[in-house]
Amino acid sequence: MAGSALRRLMAEYKQLTLNPPEGILAGPVDEENFFEWEALITGPEGTCFEGGVFPAKLTFPPDYPLSPPKMQFTCDMFHPNIYSDGRVCISILHAPGDDPMGYESSAERWSPVQSVEKILLSVVSMLAEPNDESGANVDAAKMWRESREEFNNITEKLVRKTLGIPC
Amino acid sequence: MKFIGISFVSFSLTAVVLANAYYQKKQFYPSVVYITKSNPSMAVMYIQAFIGVWILGKLMRKVFFGQLRTTEFEHLMERSWYAITETCLAFTVFRDDFTPKFVALFTLLLFLKSFHWLAEDRVDFMERSPMIGWLFHIRVLSLLLLLGALDSHFIIHAFHSTITKGASVQLVFGFEYAVLITVVVNIGIKYALHSVDLHSETPWDNKAVFLLYTELVMGFIKVILYVAFVAIMVRIYTLPLFAFRPMYYTIRDFKKAFSDVILSRRAIHNMNTLYPDATPEELLATDNVCIICREEMATACKKLPCNHIFHTSCLRSWFQRQQTCPTCRLNILRAPTPPTNNNVQGAQPPNAPLPPNGPNQFFNMFAAPNQFFNNQVNPGVNVGAVPPPNAQAPGAEPAPAFGPGPAQPGAVPPPPPAAFAAPFGFPTHAFPIPFPMPFMAPPPMPPTNLAALSEEELRNLEGHERRHVEARIQCLRNIQTLLDAAVQMMQQYSVASSVSSVGREPPASGSAPPAGNGGSSSDSVPNNPSAAANENAGETPSADQPPEDSASGETASVLPEKSPKSNNSDLLSEASSTSAEEEIRRRRLQRFLLQEQEQQQN
Repeated sequence: MAGSALRRLMAEYKQLTLNPPEGILAGPVDEENFFEWEALITGPEGTCFEGGVFPAKLTFPPDYPLSPPKMQFTCDMFHPNIYSDGRVCISILHAPGDDPMGYESSAERWSPVQSVEKILLSVVSMLAEPNDESGANVDAAKMWRESREEFNNITEKLVRKTLGIPC
Repeated sequence: MKFIGISFVSFSLTAVVLANAYYQKKQFYPSVVYITKSNPSMAVMYIQAFIGVWILGKLMRKVFFGQLRTTEFEHLMERSWYAITETCLAFTVFRDDFTPKFVALFTLLLFLKSFHWLAEDRVDFMERSPMIGWLFHIRVLSLLLLLGALDSHFIIHAFHSTITKGASVQLVFGFEYAVLITVVVNIGIKYALHSVDLHSETPWDNKAVFLLYTELVMGFIKVILYVAFVAIMVRIYTLPLFAFRPMYYTIRDFKKAFSDVILSRRAIHNMNTLYPDATPEELLATDNVCIICREEMATACKKLPCNHIFHTSCLRSWFQRQQTCPTCRLNILRAPTPPTNNNVQGAQPPNAPLPPNGPNQFFNMFAAPNQFFNNQVNPGVNVGAVPPPNAQAPGAEPAPAFGPGPAQPGAVPPPPPAAFAAPFGFPTHAFPIPFPMPFMAPPPMPPTNLAALSEEELRNLEGHERRHVEARIQCLRNIQTLLDAAVQMMQQYSVASSVSSVGREPPASGSAPPAGNGGSSSDSVPNNPSAAANENAGETPSADQPPEDSASGETASVLPEKSPKSNNSDLLSEASSTSAEEEIRRRRLQRFLLQEQEQQQN
């Protein structure tokens, strides 16, 4: 038998392929390495990210699902909870004890109950409702709070960029 | 591309140097001498040798590893940089014997080290790869054999050289290769474990535990090697700075392995003792998928107090990190035992030392509340904590244990049961007289003769599981509640006695003649109340007991005052059956009534 992490990732991949959640596509980059995934997330409707298709990279640790994976958008993103290099900062991706912003309760941290699907759904809802209390990208958080118009302009450009439409 | 360019330049330079030497000297031997005498030529030759090693490395990597994965390459680069800087540090220690041979030996060491790292990464990857072919096994096995053989050869060489020629740079090599051979052994064990796991159809649950222990033992050996090396180096040469970083990492890894083993052991222990195995019915009742590994659960499953079920092996590795339920995050170490568990009563509190038998003024002072324990409290405690073996009539058994208990139970007013309801509710410090520890004998008494019980029964009685301990704690809490109640009672007594003694002083020889006589009085007086007690409170245990010498000032003064109360037998028996507040109120009323009567008598 293969390692438990591999078996779990395979099971999740199968599950995601059989019952894909709306607006989310995810799978290993190549089938020889199940610990690197690629995901495509469509921007939630009715938000400034609507219409965009955002590619991201998921990196799983060898002891998955005991430790959380890392997620990083591979396109340009401008969002209060995404670092400027694309890394996603949400509480379910943080193992208990690792709290970069110092505000998360352990109840919303990573646990083996979480899955790729839940992570991606959380990211979709994060895109819809940024948490400007914890600024991974302080500029974006400030702009989100103070001048929503400007924020929307920037994200609109990003959406166009991901779709390959010139601004 | 860059590498091909560099090696091409190097090869052509070498060719130029060789051609030039041969062109000038015409013969083989003189041209060799010419090259070794000329510094530029030697530089070119050294560069060429370095390039040669590099090419050999590439070749071996192709043979044994094929294409390197990105992470493997990154690890290799990272570790190489550290190794190179440390080698430069080592050069400073051995600058006296800095020769080309010395450099060549260090290069060889680095070269072999890099293959150890790669092999380690590759074997770790086994667990994560969906497809492991026979080529992989051949490569890993042959590489491990080759590395092991080379390492042991160099160790033996270093050993002989140190024995024959004394301490030299060979010490460093011997030690380095010894560390490397532990790495080879470690990789070999991991490889064996992984391949056994790969070839079995079902997941091997204990593999993680084996890996943990391998890590621990290997870490320990490495730590010993490093410490010994540093000690020897400090004695012979100087502080080996270049060994400090790897030593630090080794010790850190060992510490981590050690704490992992401890945590794992604790997790296993917790699971074996605290949580029941899930029954097939319970598995069927749920969706039968372990949420940790997303696989079906058939055997070896555990149910947590929150009723969530997981594979034992999955739980073990999770508990190593966190002591919570993965699903609901219930802290399983603080969680109460499942309510389904009826065996809580199996636990019995350790028997506290009993108060010494015999006349003791101090105990007699507390005699009344003590009696109250026997009468009222025991039944209450029995509900919670008395084990089945101790199922004798609660009133009959405990009485002898409280030897100093006086025989006027009927006179004792029913206790304030409010104290039951509120554990720790009564501040004990309000009571000025310190409670003697022996007095805290827990109400539920053990069977009179433990010798009569079989070994098995004794073990059941003791209990060593969590719920037993909790039951004990619960029992101790009950005791504390009772003590609080007793304190409350004593306060009431002292108030009552002070009031009554004030009011009753003139007729000391009147209605209650035995009051002032102390010890001698108890013989005559208690008969009356004890008889009353038999009628009043049916469960009164010490009713048939011979009266004790209950002659402390307080009890004595209380006694006569109470004795008339035994006439109100109806009232009392009723009182014992009604609710708590009722009883307190009634008691107070009685007391006031009595006082009034006495005053009237006066």
